[in-house]
Amino acid sequence: MPTVWVPSLLRPLCGGATTLQVEGQTLGEVLRAADARCPGFFERVVQDGAVRPELAVAINGQAENYPLHEPVGDSAEVAILPAIGGGGFSNFEPRERRPAGG
Amino acid sequence: MTTIDRTGYKVIGTRPVRPDGVEKVTGKAQYGADIRLPGLIHGRILRSPHAHARILSIDTSEAETIPGVMGVLTAKELPAADDAIQDLGEGAVNLRELSDNVLALEKVLYRGHAVAAVAATSPHIAEEALKKIRVEYEPLPAVLDVRDAMRDDAPLLKEDRYTKSMGAEKTDRPSNIASHNQFHAGDLEKAFAEADAVVEREFTTKMVHQGYIEPQTSTASWNADGTITIWTSTQGAFVVRAQVAEVLRRPVSSIRVIPMEIGGGFGGKIPIYLDPIAALLSKKSGRPVKITMSRTEVFEATGPTSGTYIKMKMAAKDGVITAAEATMAYEAGAYPGSAVGAGSMTMLAPYNIENFKIDAYDVVVNKPKTSAYRAPGAPAAAFACESVIDELAKKVNADPLEFRLKSSSREGTRMVNGIAFPRIGHEECVEAALNHPHYRAPIEGPNRGRGVASGYWFNGGMQSSVVAAVNPDGTVNLIEGSTDIGGTRASLAMQLAETLGIPYEDIRPSVVDTDSIGHNDVTGGSRTTFASGMAAYESGMDIRRQMAARAAKLWNCTEDEVVYENGTLRCTKDSTKELTFKELAAQQPRTGGPIAGKASLVARGAGGAFATHIVDVEVDVDTGKVTVLRYTAVQDVGTAIHPAYVEGQMQGGVVQGIGWALNEEYYYLEDGRLANSSFLDYRMPTSLDVPNIDTVIVEVPNPGHPYGVRGVGEVPIVPPLAAMANAIAEATGHRFTDLPISPRRIVETLHGLEE
Repeated sequence: MPTVWVPSLLRPLCGGATTLQVEGQTLGEVLRAADARCPGFFERVVQDGAVRPELAVAINGQAENYPLHEPVGDSAEVAILPAIGGGGFSNFEPRERRPAGG
Repeated sequence: MTTIDRTGYKVIGTRPVRPDGVEKVTGKAQYGADIRLPGLIHGRILRSPHAHARILSIDTSEAETIPGVMGVLTAKELPAADDAIQDLGEGAVNLRELSDNVLALEKVLYRGHAVAAVAATSPHIAEEALKKIRVEYEPLPAVLDVRDAMRDDAPLLKEDRYTKSMGAEKTDRPSNIASHNQFHAGDLEKAFAEADAVVEREFTTKMVHQGYIEPQTSTASWNADGTITIWTSTQGAFVVRAQVAEVLRRPVSSIRVIPMEIGGGFGGKIPIYLDPIAALLSKKSGRPVKITMSRTEVFEATGPTSGTYIKMKMAAKDGVITAAEATMAYEAGAYPGSAVGAGSMTMLAPYNIENFKIDAYDVVVNKPKTSAYRAPGAPAAAFACESVIDELAKKVNADPLEFRLKSSSREGTRMVNGIAFPRIGHEECVEAALNHPHYRAPIEGPNRGRGVASGYWFNGGMQSSVVAAVNPDGTVNLIEGSTDIGGTRASLAMQLAETLGIPYEDIRPSVVDTDSIGHNDVTGGSRTTFASGMAAYESGMDIRRQMAARAAKLWNCTEDEVVYENGTLRCTKDSTKELTFKELAAQQPRTGGPIAGKASLVARGAGGAFATHIVDVEVDVDTGKVTVLRYTAVQDVGTAIHPAYVEGQMQGGVVQGIGWALNEEYYYLEDGRLANSSFLDYRMPTSLDVPNIDTVIVEVPNPGHPYGVRGVGEVPIVPPLAAMANAIAEATGHRFTDLPISPRRIVETLHGLEE
């Protein structure tokens, strides 16, 4: 069962728990399962169908721009972190594609 | 010191000349300002004289009538940007703020904020035209210091900004505190109560600039078919393309960014400033437009790193560090997005500490928007943490390195964010420092002292794409899209040569534009030799597979019966059948046509880097001058692909760190004017100010890379601030907690002359 490391500021939602063991085969399922135990958890981490841009998720220590359908292994560890910020190794990736014009 | 077996490598670990070296030392290399195009005209930017003001009106009519002026631009002509945060991979940017930083729309938020631009047939006409633009401002109170900005009664940069706290708004009234985050584990109260020693201090650092020698420059041509071509100096052509596309609301496919050679970046050449302005002025004038910043513009209007305030309390019991509590507030500049997140996650990384609490605040102030600077956020955090650790070691009568070693992180130690370290090399770094002749040598004489400090940086992975095309003469063209700042043409070529078993000189690397290769993320986060190197390796393996298939066809055997070893293909069932790489390359037309290997990937498995530094200083207590007598930098680099370039990165990081510790600062007057916006007044170290920096390369291979590469470019700037402060404390008997430890600060402090 995947383990979620609960960020300090979200622990009040989880009765103070620092980790949660939840069911789920994808990142989205894991976060939903965390939300079932800690109501409000999902919305604090996810916005418009993606991890909030000011946050990052690490799966087994690997922080990346994971989509919610990213597979998560049975023994995976999922951590929610602040994005590095400061443009340290930023990659500007527009979500929208607009038609040519102007 | 190494834990790897180098005997298997033929190219990796050697020190060949960089492929771009001759062009650079003979002046033939083309930098952004070298661009000359038919019909080229010149752009200049009008900037705010105020640190904080509302723009009431801008009248450009007189400027437009000046002969030679071919276009005038204000923010009203920029497409309206969404008030939405976009994903930056390891960061984020608000599109409206990105656009507003390019040209201010309603308010100027720092002195030097761009408000209008002119393109003219000569730079002088453009400069004259700027003087004819009438801007009416309503000056507003400015806030320049992070602690002042956090006060309830501070002037607000944005009236509807509320503090965000892990996905929720924390405050019910507007604030300059853009975000708050926290890491917390264990029982701090108990740990502090039971400690043998506790040290608590407050630290400040000033805004400092990356200080790259080449100013920002951009030339843009808005072409008749609606496409845009941009020649610029950047750490990431694809990131420029994406940002310009957002600001101008154009599809990325209509924009081609040609990365020129780069005269330094250190993180500061990731954001865009000039490119959209040059493009729109080109559209207006029908001519290509070039804009190059002056040094004053670079200082006043491009991203420095944050000034910071950090309160740090740590405890030790039985010789190990048992608790750490920190409050960190970083200046983000005019818009949110400081590197306080990285600072908060790197601060305690070298140590295994059971009880901790870190509160981190991102705070806007009326100064330029900060951007990355080499290990963004980490040096200031290490300055606080490693200074306190030094005092703790003294309190418990421990050797400062032995003390660090006893609490060191190792494989399996969890960072404050819950992530467990894979194989790391901090212990190896501290041990190498402990055993180094520098540390064992006595330091004698009055006003002399020795300091040590450790530091950590994550290192990045992200996206890379390369193509490797085999030429008929057996050479290989390596086509890549990663800006070469620190010798990555060489480090990538070496990895490909090693993979193919051919000489390094047979690889011809080229950095190409955004139309000519798949997406590559920025050269930053110490990721290029790791991630693009991984792509170079994979492209080499692709070539090997294709060559094995060709040989199998020639020899009428299966591909499994072909082995590729040291640049030679052999048939395992017939020892007479053998072809060198070069021989098979010559047969491409007759065996199926051109062979090109390619790899596009998201590089996973980045290995974090640790460094431990030792410095000896002598302080002249009458003049305040600090002389660096000896400096040794120890660093785990994974595998040193090109040791000379690794050493260069380590030395460069140290020198920048020494400047940060001793001299560099944005010196603001009370009205928000920057008083030292030239290299004459902004004091960076020169080769005359520092001794040769000794380097010790520790090699604990990163298991996440085929050749064990970790990033090397950033962590060397993390320990110097604290190492210098610790050495100065030893030399003077006074603990300096505010940077820079300038001659004035030293004299005033030691002679009781502080106001």
